[in-house]
Amino acid sequence: MSRLRTGRFALGVTVVAVPLLLALLGPVFAGGPGPRATSFTLGGGHWLGTDFVGRDVWRQVLHGGRPVVLTALAATALAYLVALPVGLVSALTRHRRLEDLLMRPLDVLLAVPSLLLILLAATVFEPDAVGLALLVALAQVPDAARLVRAAAAEAAARPAVEALRMQGETWWRIAVGYVGRSMLRTLAADAGTRLTGVLYLVATAAFLGVGVAPDAADWAVMVDRNRTGLFVQPWAVVVPAVLIVALTTGTNLLFDAALDKGGRRTGKEARP
Amino acid sequence: MSGPRSFVARRLLLGVAQTVAVVLLVFALTEALPGDAAVALAGDQPDPARIAAIREAMKLDRPAWERLADWTAGLLHGDLGTSLVSGRPVSLYLADAFGPTLLLASLTVLLLVPAGFGLGVLAARHAGRPVDRLISSVTLAVYAVPEFALGVLLVTVFALRLGWLPPTAVGYGTDLAAHPAALVLPVLVLLSRPVCSLVRLVRAGMIDALASPYVAQARRYGVSGARIRYTHALPNALAPAAQQLARTVDWLLCGVVVVEALFVIPGLGTVLLGAVAERDVPVVQGLAVVFGVVTVVLNLGADLVAHRLAPRAGVAA
Repeated sequence: MSRLRTGRFALGVTVVAVPLLLALLGPVFAGGPGPRATSFTLGGGHWLGTDFVGRDVWRQVLHGGRPVVLTALAATALAYLVALPVGLVSALTRHRRLEDLLMRPLDVLLAVPSLLLILLAATVFEPDAVGLALLVALAQVPDAARLVRAAAAEAAARPAVEALRMQGETWWRIAVGYVGRSMLRTLAADAGTRLTGVLYLVATAAFLGVGVAPDAADWAVMVDRNRTGLFVQPWAVVVPAVLIVALTTGTNLLFDAALDKGGRRTGKEARP
Repeated sequence: MSGPRSFVARRLLLGVAQTVAVVLLVFALTEALPGDAAVALAGDQPDPARIAAIREAMKLDRPAWERLADWTAGLLHGDLGTSLVSGRPVSLYLADAFGPTLLLASLTVLLLVPAGFGLGVLAARHAGRPVDRLISSVTLAVYAVPEFALGVLLVTVFALRLGWLPPTAVGYGTDLAAHPAALVLPVLVLLSRPVCSLVRLVRAGMIDALASPYVAQARRYGVSGARIRYTHALPNALAPAAQQLARTVDWLLCGVVVVEALFVIPGLGTVLLGAVAERDVPVVQGLAVVFGVVTVVLNLGADLVAHRLAPRAGVAA
């Protein structure tokens, strides 16, 4: 099983490496914007042709990964920044009222589909990249907080916690030092699937025009805007689409292999 | 959890609370508009006549709670408000766009169930062998892919290179059922994520069930393999899958928005996106309430079904 796991791990790393390197290092090598050429042409000094306003596609590709990756990472981090304290407090508090106050509103929010929430907000706020990260994080908080609460409640019910309490350890030491540490594995597994889900949401929102400028250098925006020229100049669509596929697939494969507890997984983890 | 009835009652209560929350959240949208809502909505054409018209149409000079009461009362009677842009009732938008979306969603669910369960059982039967490894890896990989990226690549291959299928549904109007070829790619794209998650759940549930003592006992009695799989093990693997099925319907609503945009299908998703772009708040609100309530009801149904199938497993409520 371990040979298999190493194989999948290597596959994940290979698949995710190309888009990730392009996203992080691309802007460094992109160089200045050249003169605009005719829309949707092939050749003419442009390795991957030109896009819908005549910009060099390769240069757009080099620039277009960073917003996707950074927004997704920021949104995931933000979601945990809220979900961790809320989940921990509601699992460790002895006041039922406080737990209800923290968790019930989230149960209710869970009912709203994430993309719908983002589109609703986009109607009134016209968010930028930061706004999109905040929105995606908001959509992730209910589910993440529930998971944190469940994991923390399981750890908090152990005899060790009773013992710590009787020794008069502080709340912080119990919450962070013991409960927090014992749910690290669950959190790591969740962070992997959550990052995959967030990448999906960020890219989809950008494709639908939320949180991005209409001519932004962003892989998802490139797919959307260059679709009109698909028959003339497919590279402007295919290259960013393949990169997004590789990025999301690779992330998922990588985390799945890295966190595999030796074979069987309950598919429950496989939801965003 | 003191009994099935109290579980059902509590779950129903949560469903009601969620419905109310969806309605309040959607209503709060106009309140969240920065500054004067009418001015904000007029956007690019801020002439006084248009601002006055918007104020009049949305009754912005009345207090919020009165508008909320009116709007909610309207919702209960099926009156979803009137578009700011065209002046048509929102319910007409819904009626026009409902057909294509319903067709897409029902076709997808119809194919999703046999495909998900079939592949899941197949993978579980061959757990650890190449068939299972292939199914598991492919579902894991495809599961994460955004619909638009997958869709655009499928269009490039099947419509552009091979020319087997039309690239979009442009020119077919709302009568998509008469043009099945135009539906193949959209349904395939819509299926991709739900199928993967369903397969993984069914596989995990089946492997658990097949390893359980009662299956071993049935084998000792000489019960045939197929009978064990489909009449004994599968029902136990169903409970988590039934819940997942409802979650997928929630994804379907999101997926439909993307797929309709991608393949230019005149359904609810297209109407929603158009209204978002034009900041036509009443239309967005009407559609959001419909989408939100459908999601709440489906999740409620799934939790109740899952509870009926496996009362032991505590279902979220």
